[in-house]
Amino acid sequence: MSDPVRDPELDPLLAQLLAGFVDEAEEIAARLTLHLLELERRGGGRAFDDLARGLHTLKGSAATLGLDALSQLAHRMEDALLPLRGRSGPLPGPIADALLRSLDAFLAQLRHLAGRAAEGRDLAAAHELLAQAEQAVASAPVEPVRTDVAWRAHALRPRESPRAEPARPRAEPLAEPRAEPGRVRAQQEITPAPRPLAEPAPLAEAPRAKLSEPPAPGSEPPAPRGFDPEAPRSSEDGWRVGAAQVTGLLQEAERLRELRLRIDERRREVDRALALLNQLGPRPETAEARSQLITSSRALGADSEEAADVLASLEEGLKSITTLPIRTVLEPLRRAVRDLCRAQGKEARLAVVGAEVSLDRRVLEGLRAPLLHLVRNAVDHGLELPAAREAAGKHREGAITVRVEQQGNMLFLEIADDGRGLDVTAIRAAALQRGIATEAELAQLNDAQLQQLIFRPNLTTRTEVTQLSGRGVGLDVARTQLLALRGQIEAQSVPGQGTRFLLTLPADLGSSPVLVLRVGEQQFGLPMAAIESSCAARARDLRAGHGRMQLVHREQLIPLHDLGALLGLRQPATPADGAPLLILLRNGLRIGLAVDEVVGDKELFIRALPPEVRELATWQGAATLARGELVLVLRPDWIGQAIAEGPRAAAAGKRALVVDDSLTARAIHRSALESGGWSVHTAASGEQALEQLRASGAARYDVLVADIGMVPMDGLALTRAIRQSPAGRALPIILVSALDGEADRARGEASGADSFLSKRDCASGRLLHEVTAVLARRKGSA
Amino acid sequence: MSHGTSPDAAASLADAEVRALLELRAERLRRPRPAPDDDRLLWAAEFPIGDERYAIPLDSLRAAVPLRMVTPVPLSPPHLIGILRFQGQVVSALSLSALLGGRGWRDDPAVLLVVDPGIGRLIALDCEQIPKPVALPLGAVESARAQSMGPSVGLTLPSGARLHLLELRRLIGRMAHAGQP
Repeated sequence: MSDPVRDPELDPLLAQLLAGFVDEAEEIAARLTLHLLELERRGGGRAFDDLARGLHTLKGSAATLGLDALSQLAHRMEDALLPLRGRSGPLPGPIADALLRSLDAFLAQLRHLAGRAAEGRDLAAAHELLAQAEQAVASAPVEPVRTDVAWRAHALRPRESPRAEPARPRAEPLAEPRAEPGRVRAQQEITPAPRPLAEPAPLAEAPRAKLSEPPAPGSEPPAPRGFDPEAPRSSEDGWRVGAAQVTGLLQEAERLRELRLRIDERRREVDRALALLNQLGPRPETAEARSQLITSSRALGADSEEAADVLASLEEGLKSITTLPIRTVLEPLRRAVRDLCRAQGKEARLAVVGAEVSLDRRVLEGLRAPLLHLVRNAVDHGLELPAAREAAGKHREGAITVRVEQQGNMLFLEIADDGRGLDVTAIRAAALQRGIATEAELAQLNDAQLQQLIFRPNLTTRTEVTQLSGRGVGLDVARTQLLALRGQIEAQSVPGQGTRFLLTLPADLGSSPVLVLRVGEQQFGLPMAAIESSCAARARDLRAGHGRMQLVHREQLIPLHDLGALLGLRQPATPADGAPLLILLRNGLRIGLAVDEVVGDKELFIRALPPEVRELATWQGAATLARGELVLVLRPDWIGQAIAEGPRAAAAGKRALVVDDSLTARAIHRSALESGGWSVHTAASGEQALEQLRASGAARYDVLVADIGMVPMDGLALTRAIRQSPAGRALPIILVSALDGEADRARGEASGADSFLSKRDCASGRLLHEVTAVLARRKGSA
Repeated sequence: MSHGTSPDAAASLADAEVRALLELRAERLRRPRPAPDDDRLLWAAEFPIGDERYAIPLDSLRAAVPLRMVTPVPLSPPHLIGILRFQGQVVSALSLSALLGGRGWRDDPAVLLVVDPGIGRLIALDCEQIPKPVALPLGAVESARAQSMGPSVGLTLPSGARLHLLELRRLIGRMAHAGQP
């Protein structure tokens, strides 16, 4: 086998993956060692199942990285173990010992390949050891329970010096490794046990003790859980930090963000005090105070910027510590699909959507094995041979798609193939044959429920065990590992059309690439995965008519929509020349989306929204930008739905524009008007209202409700500005004020408004009544 | 005849009286004090909504923050002013006036009260003014609570003033149940 680490063509990503696999394999081997010890002492189904899963994971992961010899050794270990499933009593000692030493060999060779150990192991000796153990068990099927810890201690030591034991039987030369490790071999001839180990084959550089005998007294205690204490660690090894410590740092970063916001608030207060002093005019007695305030304001501004820099750096560092792009797990799957197809004479293409999502490293590590199992399963079980696909009217190349989407603190993964689909009849038969369910129980299940049986341990529809399948382990591994991540897995299949595996799991950490854009005064996020491209609007590419817009894009006409209108913020407006347009690709269809500004793409952690907002289909979550402001992230699916339903304003009969710098006032006016069947757009300032009227035309609105007490443009100035155009003169305007004196009313009417209400009047339900009355008066006077 | 009491005896008697008096005082000090008035009061944060006075239990109040820190949420129900970040959480800011059915407001709210309504998460409510602490007689509160199942409990204070004590859990429950106020 080639050495991937020293391969000059090896890319750094693969080297990183190999290093990660060493860590993963050490952890798995440590767990399996404990299980082996327990099984040898007492037996037990749960430990057996976990042991089988662990070996399967080692096999699959090694195969993914092209470590074929290691994959074959893991498969050989499965061969030795799995025939003993369901056997009562403890695991036979020779088998446990052979498995333990084979694990040692596996790890030693892996460390060597990853550059962490100078010398490797010849895995052929491990194969022989396993064969020998099988023969020993076959000749004496029931092994007495071993309780001799010292013996086990010896067996665990991987690099013990050769020990001369002349009085004991010596090993016979071992046979050559099997030519076809991928197939279950026929039962070997039973030979007397125990057979000693071979003469110094590389594996036999390690223990020379025979399988059935303990080491000499005084030998060293066992190395813990299969971990090789002599294995050199990478010089880049860092500290081991608990998750709680990292979480604590994340919370501190959040506190720092809030501290920075408070600094900004203090600066605004200082600026307000300065403004008050300035209103008094340039007086000598306030000069020193003003100078002091100016200095303080500048210093607070500088402190705020520095805090922002520290925060950004801290968050970036924490992100790199806690997360990795999911592509580090998904990219190796391409190799797995390729190799598997080549081995089986199939053709397939793996497409990955959303690979840029970054996830908690712990979640990624947990996902590595389930994803591998599912993709291999898709090739092995799902896809047909090219000829069969063509005969079924499909493309000869099968399609396997992995989609990743993070919504709030939930991660959704889909692994889909366009193969033959699940055979419910075969699943039913296998479940019955293997005692997983009775006839009566199966009779109660519909097809969808029967499909879920594929996740049960020991269920397989294959009659022959191969390197890839047939043991009923792989999907059980996937399900168990998903459960360990607090996730779940579900299969959906249509005969002849394919199978989809849907994985759902919480992802409290992690980030997604998001395009931040501006509509009106507000910024929003849109997942980058939804965006195919962007361009600038050009008048010659735009087509408007029949209440809809279209865009000439790549010589095709595609629908174009204004995001502000879809969000109910304004009337649809034709994009100005140079305005940014986003091209989205949803379900194979392209959609143009007009926005006011593209702020930039960012890696953002999308937080879950509170329940009051979570039910809205529009929003996927919210993220915090560097300055602490929250930005709402759109759900791409919703855009397609909103377009299908049509803009809210178009569906409603009467349209109102509410202008108020108070969020509460806008909310309450909107509530009152919507209860009367109005469609309401809002503006937070007089300037914003004028801009909306300019973009969409004053005639698009049936009434305007504006607060008088806004700054800098108050409701009176807004009214006067609107009344300067003919269309503006036709627009009914109702002014609202916290004050309700006669003078205020007179000023309102003098500005050209149709009516005047106090805020107290509005809240007591008079707004809707007044709007109706104003419209009636306008109609009457016309 | 003299009283037959020597000066020493008189002094001794005086000492005994003093000791008895001191003992009495000590005994009085040792007695458990009557429960302070605070134990029979419910401290609340009081604020106006329009012409009416409302209050929330003070122990549910977490913070008062400027309303401008809110991010509006397009297409949300009218009673939802927006969302804000508070101590690392994303919190809903709700219009109290809209939740109560538009009972009027005089000044545009500028403050958000971050409260813990006892539903496992925080919410924020808008408010025209920073609230003032007020002590409510607990007996009157309990009596009024026993007679009301609504989102607010009407109280008449000893001064004769009327005040509505908000039952936050019911207020949120009603909003969740109805989908809107």
